[in-house]
Amino acid sequence: MDRILPQPTPETRHFWEGCKEGELRLQRCAACAKSYFPPRPFCPGCGSREVEVYPASGRASLYSYVINHRPRPDMGAEPHSIAVVTLEEGPRMMTNITGCPQTPEALQLDMPLEVTFLKASDEISLPLFQPAKG
Amino acid sequence: MASGIKDKVAVIGMGCSKFGERWDAGPDELMVEAYLEAMADAGIEPTQLDAAWFSTHVDEFGTGKGGTPLSIALRLPNIAVTRVENFCASGSEAFRGAVYAVAAGAADIALAVGVEKLKDTGYGGLPVANAGTLSPQVAPNGSAPGNFAQLASAYRSKHGVSREDLKRAIAHVSVKSHANGAKNRKAHLQKPVTEEQVLNAPMIAEPLGLFDCCGVSDGAAAAIVTTPEIARSLGKHDLVMVKALQLSVSNGYESQFNAWDGSYFHTARIAAKKAYREAGVEDPRRQISMMEVHDCFSITELVTMEDLFISAEGQGWRDVLDGFYDADGGVPCQIDGGLKCFGHPIGASGLRMLYEMYLQLQGRAGERQLADPVLGMTHNLGGSPASNVCSVAIVGREGA
Repeated sequence: MDRILPQPTPETRHFWEGCKEGELRLQRCAACAKSYFPPRPFCPGCGSREVEVYPASGRASLYSYVINHRPRPDMGAEPHSIAVVTLEEGPRMMTNITGCPQTPEALQLDMPLEVTFLKASDEISLPLFQPAKG
Repeated sequence: MASGIKDKVAVIGMGCSKFGERWDAGPDELMVEAYLEAMADAGIEPTQLDAAWFSTHVDEFGTGKGGTPLSIALRLPNIAVTRVENFCASGSEAFRGAVYAVAAGAADIALAVGVEKLKDTGYGGLPVANAGTLSPQVAPNGSAPGNFAQLASAYRSKHGVSREDLKRAIAHVSVKSHANGAKNRKAHLQKPVTEEQVLNAPMIAEPLGLFDCCGVSDGAAAAIVTTPEIARSLGKHDLVMVKALQLSVSNGYESQFNAWDGSYFHTARIAAKKAYREAGVEDPRRQISMMEVHDCFSITELVTMEDLFISAEGQGWRDVLDGFYDADGGVPCQIDGGLKCFGHPIGASGLRMLYEMYLQLQGRAGERQLADPVLGMTHNLGGSPASNVCSVAIVGREGA
């Protein structure tokens, strides 16, 4: 079964185009200065439509995770992490941690992470995170 | 503040099909099975029904997204039929619609029917959405067990509970539900399990093993409601009354600006507080006689004991291990087996929970019967911990 992938909409296209280009993009409210995720055309805090898209640093820390031993049918057969990471800019994001063993020993809370992109199709690259290098 | 629903509406008939892998029946037959039981129980004719609410979530059948699949299956007398859907809490929505119609005086007698035929999808869990809406746009990484397993990580971290202690507590949640389900001939799963079996079962999403996850089922359930005056004119006595109906829906608080720690259900706490106020319940741990909660996963049930203010925060796992929620405990929970064993046909589940409360309050629950219950609570959740709808209902005896 092929991996179930998002289909970008006008509200989320900037995010997925960024991923395709290897850039994690967030939005920020001009009125209250808060960064937010998931994408939407108005600020979830104050409702302002004065929002901008900007490139995030791609740096994050591991907030929480579980190891999913029996993956969704489209996600292969091996146990994998489902993680919540805190982006350097503030918002949290659900993702998978890659580039390290999928074990509690390798997945330490608060460990520094960096974004990496899994090219899943010509249109969609999924933002995953790996242990920060250096 | 609104005057609330307390004691304005009585339940005079309920029915529930056998849940499970119902290869022998289509959705129409499941609805008929639940409906005929409810009508015989109420002792009324179809012409006495003024309006109906119909809940189904995942699958479309018959003529699709409308009232006709119910009306045609039951050959209702051309009355109003409203189809409702609110994730796994859809069945509670059908009940809410019917109860509000009676309370408003728009209907003398109203019907609620929920149904789901999930096993035909050929897939063990729930179908995964793949386009258009927010969740598949921004969270293509998870799974239902994975999302709910995160409650366990957060709960352990917040309350300093060891993996072994929490694993034993959630195992006991399932052992208890299987023991109860073994006494229910309508349940999908009717075999008891041991703690050892649960602890050693294959891992699904750490720390949730196979027996920490409810399955999905085929089934239907139905309720008939009216005013207490009409109920008495029909010769009914010892009425089962609606005491509270509340619904709280996530607004993004849990998933934005990091205000929520992931260890509990924000909506459940709000719905529970409102329900207790509506029903006049001041001390739920003592006043609530029994509960059916949304145990899609064992950890969901455990944290829900705290979100409903039955257990103190951080102490729910101890109450579970102490047997407080067992059939012979302080507040028996999932006395019919719960989603875990009775089964989870999505559109029917909220009504199935009420069915058990109704039977118990009338002393008709057979070998599962509890001693003298007065107030029963149902908690029906739809969605994921970070984004959900949470319905809390309380039913009870007249005068309670």
